[in-house]
Amino acid sequence: MATGFVLDPTARRADDITSPGPDAGSLIGKRVGFRVDRMWRAWDWISELWAEKFREAGAEVSFWRSAGRSGDEGERCEREYKAFLESIDVAVVGLANCGSCTGWTVRDAITAANTGLPTTAIATANFETFAHEIAARGGRSGLRVHVLPYPLNEQLKEDVLPIGEAHFLPVLQTMGASLTAREQAA
Amino acid sequence: MTIELIRPGRNRIAPAPKPLVSRDCGPEGCEVDWLASRRVEAELDVEAFTRFSLEMGWGDGLPLIPPTDARVRTFLSENDRYPDEVIGMMPGNVECTVEKIVINAVMAGAPAESLELLIAMISSIADPDFELYGVNATTASVYPAFVVNGPIRQALDIPYSYGCLGGVPGVSAPIGRAIRLIMRNVAGQVAGVTSQTTFGSPGRVAGIVTGEWEEKSPWAPLGERRGVSGNAVTSFGTMGTMNVLDTTSHSASDFLEMIGKSYAYAGCNNFSGAVPFGEALIAINPICAEIVAREMPNIEDVQETLWKFASVDANDLNAQHRDQLAGQGRVRADGRIYAAPEPKDILVFVAGGLGGLHAAGFHTFGTSLAQTKPVAEIVPAEHSIAAE
Repeated sequence: MATGFVLDPTARRADDITSPGPDAGSLIGKRVGFRVDRMWRAWDWISELWAEKFREAGAEVSFWRSAGRSGDEGERCEREYKAFLESIDVAVVGLANCGSCTGWTVRDAITAANTGLPTTAIATANFETFAHEIAARGGRSGLRVHVLPYPLNEQLKEDVLPIGEAHFLPVLQTMGASLTAREQAA
Repeated sequence: MTIELIRPGRNRIAPAPKPLVSRDCGPEGCEVDWLASRRVEAELDVEAFTRFSLEMGWGDGLPLIPPTDARVRTFLSENDRYPDEVIGMMPGNVECTVEKIVINAVMAGAPAESLELLIAMISSIADPDFELYGVNATTASVYPAFVVNGPIRQALDIPYSYGCLGGVPGVSAPIGRAIRLIMRNVAGQVAGVTSQTTFGSPGRVAGIVTGEWEEKSPWAPLGERRGVSGNAVTSFGTMGTMNVLDTTSHSASDFLEMIGKSYAYAGCNNFSGAVPFGEALIAINPICAEIVAREMPNIEDVQETLWKFASVDANDLNAQHRDQLAGQGRVRADGRIYAAPEPKDILVFVAGGLGGLHAAGFHTFGTSLAQTKPVAEIVPAEHSIAAE
């Protein structure tokens, strides 16, 4: 059987940042920015819960809500997101809980990480591998991804909030964050 | 929250037809034809290569033509593009070059003369407003459908009559398949890996590549109405085709009512709370179009009538869905929810066989906006020199 050479039809970027990027460190006095969206009420509830805990620890908190990413609205979103990133010290980006929203969550997280911000993407378990794959394709295989259970959004608020409570310390670990200077020193 | 009206991004770079100057490099290639892709050793008969392509993750399961240097160079030599020209950025900021387009086109069996159409198609889906990032990754079954306008329909034999949406022997399937292979191999869309598509679609093999039957249309061609006269291609991220049978109506408004009401079903993406806005694409057959145009010579009136009927009564949705859409401001004062924000967002073209009776609807994936791009025409070298 004749053999020969064929040209590779695939393309992907060759560069990759395998580092997770800087730790968030002590959150005291820092501004933590949550990227939320219009789809996942569970992520609204959990991000609000975590935000309150960050405030109690002495951090400031901001939110930015992603919307449509095409047309006029897409351009507005791009501008707003860039300004948002300039206003924060730490980025927490969610929620990767569907196909396209994982795509955009990871893309927005990579944008944040590429500015040098300590960045963590939040995914649900069903989309964990997917999030890592897209992060690698986007040139940041080391992106921090914190994983919440799945299904999540289908649950009632009283069931979701305990999940948020249970994941607070673990997400701090993923972020490389601490709530107090003493914890940071430890 | 307010209703999001669809407006094309204003700061995007406007497409411009590119005058191409013929370069006679020949199938052996010349300096500018140097190919940069990795060479991979493979068996070259089609069956073995097809198996190999599946092992490599390159294929779709149908037979593939091995993209040897000679085949790729021959394809390039019949056109006038530099292989390293970047046509668009794919998800993950991956460059889609002419070379990658040609390699995948060779594999799919697309003809060399389709390159400029392929380039326009890739350019259209790479436009940020097409939102390929979401299209590629989503749980939806979306894939691009392409409507071709201009003389290139005849030159390439793109179907616009009987069976134009699929099943006609000719170039539309290999051209559509080439785009699908590029979406796999360059844009990285692999089901279960980088695409979460729940069901996929037969359209994810060869897509849809149809022409508009401009000669039978009572209205201006779709591309022209969207700012590109002559050879043009319009891409639309669709969830598939939906047939509308109407053997009963007589008047324009009756036909359009039937089409509009059929289009509007609660579970389509156009009515999802996850989709803040979306367009609609509708194909009207030539017989029906003629009847409609007698009453509605202005296409804007057709769009407005379709838009009016492509809506649902908010009370027909269950409370959770209704409340979510109400929260987004999508329940209008008349108590209805519309498939698209404005009549202009209902895109209409004329195609299909002369047996009539049917229309075709295409539901959107979501905020992926239709893109119309010109297809570049080659300027023979002697004309270019004469012009100088």
